[in-house]
Amino acid sequence: MSVNNRDPLVVGGVIGDVLERFTRSIDLRVTYGQREVTNGLDIRPSQIINKPRVEIGGEDLRNFYTLVMVDPDVPSPSNPHLREYLHWLVTDIPATTGTNFGNEIVSYESPRPTSGIHRLVLVLFRQLGRQTVYEPGWRPQFNTREFAALYNLGLPVAAVYFNCQRDNGSGGRRT
Amino acid sequence: MAIPMAMATPTDSVTRVWSMSSLRSALPSCRLPSSTSRRAVTLRLPVSTPSPLLPSFSGLSPVNPLISTGLPDWKSFESGFKIIDGGGRVYAMRHGRRVPKLNRPPDQRKALLRGLTTQLLKHGRIKTTRARASAMRKFVDKMITLAKDGSLHKRRQALGYIYEKQIVHALFAEVPDRYGERNGGYTRIIRTLPRRGDNAPMAYIELV
Repeated sequence: MSVNNRDPLVVGGVIGDVLERFTRSIDLRVTYGQREVTNGLDIRPSQIINKPRVEIGGEDLRNFYTLVMVDPDVPSPSNPHLREYLHWLVTDIPATTGTNFGNEIVSYESPRPTSGIHRLVLVLFRQLGRQTVYEPGWRPQFNTREFAALYNLGLPVAAVYFNCQRDNGSGGRRT
Repeated sequence: MAIPMAMATPTDSVTRVWSMSSLRSALPSCRLPSSTSRRAVTLRLPVSTPSPLLPSFSGLSPVNPLISTGLPDWKSFESGFKIIDGGGRVYAMRHGRRVPKLNRPPDQRKALLRGLTTQLLKHGRIKTTRARASAMRKFVDKMITLAKDGSLHKRRQALGYIYEKQIVHALFAEVPDRYGERNGGYTRIIRTLPRRGDNAPMAYIELV
Protein backbone atom coordinates (compact mmCIF):
# COMPACT_ATOMS: atom_id res chain seq x y z
CA MET A 1 0.00 0.00 0.00
CA SER A 2 1.38 3.40 -0.86
CA VAL A 3 1.63 6.29 1.50
CA ASN A 4 -1.11 8.87 0.99
CA ASN A 5 -1.40 12.37 2.38
CA ARG A 6 -3.32 11.28 5.46
CA ASP A 7 -0.73 8.77 6.52
CA PRO A 8 0.54 9.41 10.05
CA LEU A 9 4.11 9.50 8.81
CA VAL A 10 3.28 12.35 6.47
CA VAL A 11 1.10 14.16 9.00
CA GLY A 12 3.74 13.87 11.69
CA GLY A 13 6.36 15.26 9.38
CA VAL A 14 8.55 12.16 9.41
CA ILE A 15 8.33 11.92 5.63
CA GLY A 16 9.99 15.15 4.70
CA ASP A 17 12.26 15.54 7.69
CA VAL A 18 13.79 12.09 7.81
CA LEU A 19 12.57 9.95 4.94
CA GLU A 20 11.27 10.12 1.42
CA ARG A 21 7.90 8.78 0.38
CA PHE A 22 8.00 5.05 0.15
CA THR A 23 5.76 2.05 -0.21
CA ARG A 24 5.30 -0.08 2.84
CA SER A 25 6.06 -3.68 2.02
CA ILE A 26 7.22 -5.40 5.20
CA ASP A 27 5.46 -5.62 8.55
CA LEU A 28 7.23 -3.99 11.45
CA ARG A 29 6.15 -4.55 15.04
CA VAL A 30 7.94 -2.71 17.82
CA THR A 31 7.04 -3.48 21.41
CA TYR A 32 8.31 -1.74 24.52
CA GLY A 33 7.39 -4.09 27.35
CA GLN A 34 3.68 -4.56 26.94
CA ARG A 35 2.98 -1.56 24.71
CA GLU A 36 3.07 -1.90 20.99
CA VAL A 37 4.31 1.21 19.28
CA THR A 38 1.88 2.83 16.87
CA ASN A 39 2.51 6.03 14.96
CA GLY A 40 2.40 9.08 17.17
CA LEU A 41 2.19 7.19 20.46
CA ASP A 42 3.27 9.08 23.57
CA ILE A 43 5.90 7.23 25.61
CA ARG A 44 7.90 8.38 28.61
CA PRO A 45 11.68 7.92 28.81
CA SER A 46 11.24 5.67 31.83
CA GLN A 47 9.45 3.15 29.64
CA ILE A 48 12.09 3.03 26.92
CA ILE A 49 15.20 2.49 28.98
CA ASN A 50 15.68 -0.96 27.51
CA LYS A 51 15.65 -1.84 23.86
CA PRO A 52 12.33 -2.86 22.38
CA ARG A 53 11.36 -6.15 20.89
CA VAL A 54 11.20 -5.77 17.13
CA GLU A 55 9.65 -8.32 14.81
CA ILE A 56 9.65 -7.95 11.07
CA GLY A 57 7.67 -9.66 8.39
CA GLY A 58 8.68 -10.80 4.95
CA GLU A 59 8.88 -14.34 3.63
CA ASP A 60 12.36 -15.30 2.60
CA LEU A 61 14.90 -15.91 5.31
CA ARG A 62 17.64 -15.09 2.89
CA ASN A 63 16.68 -11.43 2.75
CA PHE A 64 18.40 -9.23 5.29
CA TYR A 65 17.18 -5.99 6.73
CA THR A 66 18.65 -3.04 8.60
CA LEU A 67 16.85 -1.24 11.40
CA VAL A 68 17.74 2.37 12.20
CA MET A 69 16.40 4.34 15.16
CA VAL A 70 16.92 8.10 15.00
CA ASP A 71 15.71 11.21 16.77
CA PRO A 72 15.26 14.09 14.32
CA ASP A 73 14.49 16.68 17.00
CA VAL A 74 17.76 17.00 18.87
CA PRO A 75 18.42 19.03 20.93
CA SER A 76 14.98 20.65 20.75
CA PRO A 77 12.22 20.56 18.11
CA SER A 78 12.35 24.34 17.84
CA ASN A 79 16.06 24.28 17.10
CA PRO A 80 17.14 20.89 15.72
CA HIS A 81 20.66 21.74 14.71
CA LEU A 82 21.99 18.31 15.71
CA ARG A 83 19.47 16.53 13.49
CA GLU A 84 19.42 13.50 13.66
CA TYR A 85 20.73 11.50 16.59
CA LEU A 86 21.34 7.82 16.02
CA HIS A 87 20.07 5.71 18.88
CA TRP A 88 20.26 2.19 17.50
CA LEU A 89 21.48 0.41 14.40
CA VAL A 90 20.97 -3.30 13.78
CA THR A 91 21.94 -4.96 10.53
CA ASP A 92 21.66 -8.41 8.98
CA ILE A 93 18.23 -9.13 10.37
CA PRO A 94 16.76 -12.09 8.52
CA ALA A 95 13.17 -11.77 7.37
CA THR A 96 10.40 -13.02 9.69
CA THR A 97 12.70 -12.73 12.69
CA GLY A 98 13.64 -9.94 15.04
CA THR A 99 16.55 -7.83 16.12
CA ASN A 100 17.81 -10.58 18.39
CA PHE A 101 18.99 -12.37 15.29
CA GLY A 102 20.69 -9.34 13.81
CA ASN A 103 24.02 -7.69 14.26
CA GLU A 104 23.78 -4.71 16.60
CA ILE A 105 26.55 -2.49 15.38
CA VAL A 106 25.42 0.66 17.22
CA SER A 107 24.17 -0.29 20.64
CA TYR A 108 20.82 0.92 21.93
CA GLU A 109 20.98 4.21 23.78
CA SER A 110 17.82 5.13 25.60
CA PRO A 111 16.51 8.55 24.57
CA ARG A 112 16.53 11.23 27.23
CA PRO A 113 15.00 14.35 25.70
CA THR A 114 15.66 17.49 27.70
CA SER A 115 13.53 20.04 25.89
CA GLY A 116 10.26 19.71 24.03
CA ILE A 117 8.57 16.69 22.54
CA HIS A 118 10.87 14.59 20.36
CA ARG A 119 9.89 12.19 17.63
CA LEU A 120 11.71 8.88 17.55
CA VAL A 121 11.65 7.11 14.21
CA LEU A 122 12.36 3.46 13.53
CA VAL A 123 13.10 2.73 9.89
CA LEU A 124 13.60 -0.60 8.19
CA PHE A 125 15.71 -0.94 5.08
CA ARG A 126 16.36 -3.94 2.91
CA GLN A 127 19.99 -4.87 2.41
CA LEU A 128 21.40 -6.17 -0.85
CA GLY A 129 23.50 -8.81 0.86
CA ARG A 130 25.04 -9.74 4.15
CA GLN A 131 27.56 -7.57 5.93
CA THR A 132 27.26 -4.69 3.56
CA VAL A 133 26.44 -2.03 6.15
CA TYR A 134 28.96 -0.49 8.51
CA GLU A 135 28.60 1.79 11.45
CA PRO A 136 28.96 5.54 11.11
CA GLY A 137 31.63 7.39 13.00
CA TRP A 138 29.41 9.22 15.48
CA ARG A 139 25.80 9.43 16.66
CA PRO A 140 24.70 13.05 16.19
CA GLN A 141 24.38 14.73 12.79
CA PHE A 142 23.28 11.45 11.30
CA ASN A 143 21.50 11.65 7.97
CA THR A 144 19.26 8.73 7.14
CA ARG A 145 18.96 9.59 3.48
CA GLU A 146 22.71 9.77 2.99
CA PHE A 147 23.19 6.61 5.00
CA ALA A 148 20.77 4.74 2.74
CA ALA A 149 22.39 6.13 -0.37
CA LEU A 150 25.86 5.26 0.88
CA TYR A 151 25.10 1.60 1.46
CA ASN A 152 22.66 1.20 -1.43
CA LEU A 153 19.74 0.51 0.83
CA GLY A 154 17.26 2.38 -1.35
CA LEU A 155 13.91 3.49 -0.08
CA PRO A 156 12.68 2.23 3.30
CA VAL A 157 10.35 -0.74 3.45
CA ALA A 158 8.74 0.12 6.79
CA ALA A 159 8.75 2.93 9.33
CA VAL A 160 7.09 3.84 12.59
CA TYR A 161 7.52 6.77 14.93
CA PHE A 162 6.52 7.75 18.44
CA ASN A 163 6.76 10.82 20.66
CA CYS A 164 8.79 11.16 23.79
CA GLN A 165 9.16 13.98 26.30
CA ARG A 166 10.75 14.47 29.68
CA ASP A 167 9.38 12.57 32.62
CA ASN A 168 9.01 15.55 34.89
CA GLY A 169 7.26 17.87 32.47
CA SER A 170 8.76 20.66 30.48
CA GLY A 171 10.02 22.65 33.41
CA GLY A 172 7.90 25.78 33.03
CA ARG A 173 9.42 29.17 32.75
CA ARG A 174 13.12 29.39 33.26
CA THR A 175 14.75 32.65 32.38
CA MET B 1 -45.10 86.68 27.16
CA ALA B 2 -48.07 84.65 26.52
CA ILE B 3 -47.50 80.98 26.67
CA PRO B 4 -50.08 79.36 24.59
CA MET B 5 -51.78 76.76 26.59
CA ALA B 6 -53.00 73.74 24.81
CA MET B 7 -56.46 73.26 26.01
CA ALA B 8 -57.37 69.69 26.22
CA THR B 9 -60.95 69.51 25.27
CA PRO B 10 -62.06 65.99 25.18
CA THR B 11 -64.48 65.59 22.38
CA ASP B 12 -66.01 62.57 23.87
CA SER B 13 -66.43 62.56 27.57
CA VAL B 14 -66.52 58.81 27.77
CA THR B 15 -63.44 57.89 25.82
CA ARG B 16 -61.41 61.02 26.45
CA VAL B 17 -59.68 61.02 23.09
CA TRP B 18 -57.43 63.82 22.05
CA SER B 19 -58.52 65.76 19.07
CA MET B 20 -55.99 67.03 16.60
CA SER B 21 -58.13 70.01 15.70
CA SER B 22 -58.18 71.31 19.24
CA LEU B 23 -54.41 70.95 19.44
CA ARG B 24 -53.94 72.70 16.17
CA SER B 25 -56.13 75.56 17.16
CA ALA B 26 -54.34 75.99 20.45
CA LEU B 27 -50.85 76.30 19.02
CA PRO B 28 -50.19 79.66 17.36
CA SER B 29 -49.30 79.51 13.69
CA CYS B 30 -48.49 75.92 13.99
CA ARG B 31 -48.35 74.51 10.54
CA LEU B 32 -48.38 70.79 10.81
CA PRO B 33 -47.73 69.02 7.55
CA SER B 34 -50.86 67.88 5.87
CA SER B 35 -51.66 64.73 7.62
CA THR B 36 -54.88 62.93 7.77
CA SER B 37 -56.59 62.44 11.05
CA ARG B 38 -56.50 58.71 10.49
CA ARG B 39 -52.72 58.71 10.97
CA ALA B 40 -51.56 57.70 14.43
CA VAL B 41 -50.51 60.64 16.55
CA THR B 42 -46.76 60.54 16.67
CA LEU B 43 -44.61 62.70 18.84
CA ARG B 44 -41.81 64.33 16.85
CA LEU B 45 -38.72 64.74 18.99
CA PRO B 46 -35.86 66.81 17.61
CA VAL B 47 -33.12 64.30 16.83
CA SER B 48 -29.60 65.72 16.49
CA THR B 49 -28.30 62.94 14.23
CA PRO B 50 -31.27 61.39 12.53
CA SER B 51 -30.67 57.68 12.62
CA PRO B 52 -31.56 56.11 9.32
CA LEU B 53 -33.12 53.20 11.16
CA LEU B 54 -35.59 55.15 13.27
CA PRO B 55 -36.89 58.33 11.70
CA SER B 56 -39.82 58.34 14.06
CA PHE B 57 -39.65 57.26 17.66
CA SER B 58 -42.59 55.17 18.68
CA GLY B 59 -41.45 53.95 22.06
CA LEU B 60 -39.57 50.78 22.84
CA SER B 61 -42.25 48.39 21.76
CA PRO B 62 -41.47 46.47 18.61
CA VAL B 63 -43.13 47.85 15.55
CA ASN B 64 -45.85 45.63 14.28
CA PRO B 65 -44.59 44.09 11.07
CA LEU B 66 -48.05 44.38 9.59
CA ILE B 67 -47.67 48.15 9.58
CA SER B 68 -45.15 48.98 6.90
CA THR B 69 -42.99 51.75 8.19
CA GLY B 70 -40.83 51.71 5.11
CA LEU B 71 -37.70 50.62 7.01
CA PRO B 72 -35.78 48.03 5.01
CA ASP B 73 -33.77 46.61 7.93
CA TRP B 74 -36.50 45.15 10.06
CA LYS B 75 -36.55 41.64 8.72
CA SER B 76 -37.60 39.57 11.67
CA PHE B 77 -38.11 39.81 15.39
CA GLU B 78 -37.10 36.40 16.63
CA SER B 79 -34.83 37.98 19.21
CA GLY B 80 -37.32 40.51 20.48
CA PHE B 81 -36.32 44.11 20.66
CA LYS B 82 -32.68 45.02 21.25
CA ILE B 83 -31.02 48.33 21.88
CA ILE B 84 -29.45 49.47 18.66
CA ASP B 85 -26.80 52.14 18.87
CA GLY B 86 -24.30 53.02 16.20
CA GLY B 87 -25.34 50.09 14.04
CA GLY B 88 -23.88 47.28 16.27
CA ARG B 89 -26.18 44.30 16.49
CA VAL B 90 -26.42 42.00 19.46
CA TYR B 91 -28.02 38.61 18.96
CA ALA B 92 -28.98 36.06 21.54
CA MET B 93 -27.22 33.30 19.52
CA ARG B 94 -23.55 33.11 18.54
CA HIS B 95 -24.13 33.97 14.87
CA GLY B 96 -20.94 35.20 13.24
CA ARG B 97 -18.79 35.45 16.36
CA ARG B 98 -15.38 34.01 15.59
CA VAL B 99 -13.27 34.82 18.63
CA PRO B 100 -12.69 31.67 20.73
CA LYS B 101 -13.43 32.45 24.35
CA LEU B 102 -11.69 29.38 25.85
CA ASN B 103 -13.94 29.52 28.93
CA ARG B 104 -12.00 32.41 30.37
CA PRO B 105 -12.43 36.14 30.88
CA PRO B 106 -10.57 38.30 28.39
CA ASP B 107 -7.52 39.06 30.50
CA GLN B 108 -6.95 35.43 31.38
CA ARG B 109 -7.55 34.42 27.78
CA LYS B 110 -4.88 36.80 26.57
CA ALA B 111 -2.46 35.57 29.21
CA LEU B 112 -3.16 31.93 28.32
CA LEU B 113 -2.52 32.54 24.64
CA ARG B 114 0.63 34.50 25.38
CA GLY B 115 1.92 31.66 27.53
CA LEU B 116 1.06 29.04 24.94
CA THR B 117 2.79 30.87 22.10
CA THR B 118 5.82 31.46 24.28
CA GLN B 119 6.06 27.77 25.07
CA LEU B 120 5.54 26.72 21.47
CA LEU B 121 8.25 29.04 20.26
CA LYS B 122 10.51 27.76 23.02
CA HIS B 123 9.97 24.02 22.63
CA GLY B 124 8.90 23.69 19.02
CA ARG B 125 6.16 21.17 19.73
CA ILE B 126 3.63 21.14 22.54
CA LYS B 127 0.59 19.08 23.43
CA THR B 128 -2.58 20.89 24.47
CA THR B 129 -6.30 20.65 23.94
CA ARG B 130 -7.59 21.03 20.41
CA ALA B 131 -9.47 24.22 21.14
CA ARG B 132 -6.38 25.91 22.54
CA ALA B 133 -4.19 24.65 19.71
CA SER B 134 -6.50 26.01 17.04
CA ALA B 135 -6.92 29.28 18.93
CA MET B 136 -3.21 29.93 19.20
CA ARG B 137 -2.40 29.47 15.52
CA LYS B 138 -3.25 33.05 14.76
CA PHE B 139 -0.92 34.43 17.40
CA VAL B 140 1.99 32.15 16.55
CA ASP B 141 1.73 33.21 12.92
CA LYS B 142 1.60 36.79 14.04
CA MET B 143 4.82 36.44 16.03
CA ILE B 144 6.61 34.78 13.14
CA THR B 145 5.41 37.50 10.80
CA LEU B 146 6.80 40.12 13.17
CA ALA B 147 10.11 38.28 13.19
CA LYS B 148 10.13 38.12 9.41
CA ASP B 149 9.90 41.88 9.26
CA GLY B 150 12.78 42.23 11.68
CA SER B 151 12.73 45.95 12.37
CA LEU B 152 13.18 47.43 15.83
CA HIS B 153 9.56 48.41 16.18
CA LYS B 154 8.44 44.89 15.38
CA ARG B 155 10.97 43.48 17.79
CA ARG B 156 9.58 45.64 20.55
CA GLN B 157 6.07 44.59 19.68
CA ALA B 158 7.13 40.97 19.95
CA LEU B 159 8.83 41.66 23.27
CA GLY B 160 5.57 43.04 24.54
CA TYR B 161 3.76 39.82 23.76
CA ILE B 162 6.18 36.97 24.45
CA TYR B 163 7.08 36.42 28.05
CA GLU B 164 10.77 35.55 27.66
CA LYS B 165 13.00 37.93 25.78
CA GLN B 166 15.62 35.33 24.86
CA ILE B 167 13.00 33.56 22.83
CA VAL B 168 12.23 36.76 20.95
CA HIS B 169 15.88 37.31 20.13
CA ALA B 170 16.34 33.70 19.05
CA LEU B 171 13.18 33.94 16.97
CA PHE B 172 14.31 37.08 15.19
CA ALA B 173 17.65 35.45 14.49
CA GLU B 174 16.45 32.21 12.94
CA VAL B 175 13.11 33.01 11.28
CA PRO B 176 14.51 34.54 8.05
CA ASP B 177 16.40 31.34 7.29
CA ARG B 178 13.75 28.96 8.37
CA TYR B 179 10.58 30.60 7.08
CA GLY B 180 11.94 32.93 4.44
CA GLU B 181 10.12 31.33 1.54
CA ARG B 182 7.07 30.07 3.34
CA ASN B 183 4.03 32.35 3.18
CA GLY B 184 1.90 31.73 6.21
CA GLY B 185 0.92 28.43 7.75
CA TYR B 186 3.85 28.16 10.10
CA THR B 187 2.19 25.64 12.39
CA ARG B 188 0.81 22.17 12.05
CA ILE B 189 -1.79 20.57 14.30
CA ILE B 190 -1.91 16.81 14.76
CA ARG B 191 -4.88 15.45 16.64
CA THR B 192 -4.16 12.74 19.14
CA LEU B 193 -5.76 10.60 21.82
CA PRO B 194 -7.98 12.24 24.44
CA ARG B 195 -6.63 13.07 27.86
CA ARG B 196 -7.25 10.46 30.49
CA GLY B 197 -8.51 12.68 33.34
CA ASP B 198 -11.33 14.46 31.57
CA ASN B 199 -11.42 12.95 28.07
CA ALA B 200 -10.50 16.30 26.56
CA PRO B 201 -9.55 16.03 22.88
CA MET B 202 -5.83 16.70 22.64
CA ALA B 203 -3.58 17.78 19.83
CA TYR B 204 0.06 18.39 19.14
CA ILE B 205 0.86 21.75 17.67
CA GLU B 206 4.28 22.18 16.16
CA LEU B 207 6.20 24.68 14.13
CA VAL B 208 6.38 23.55 10.59
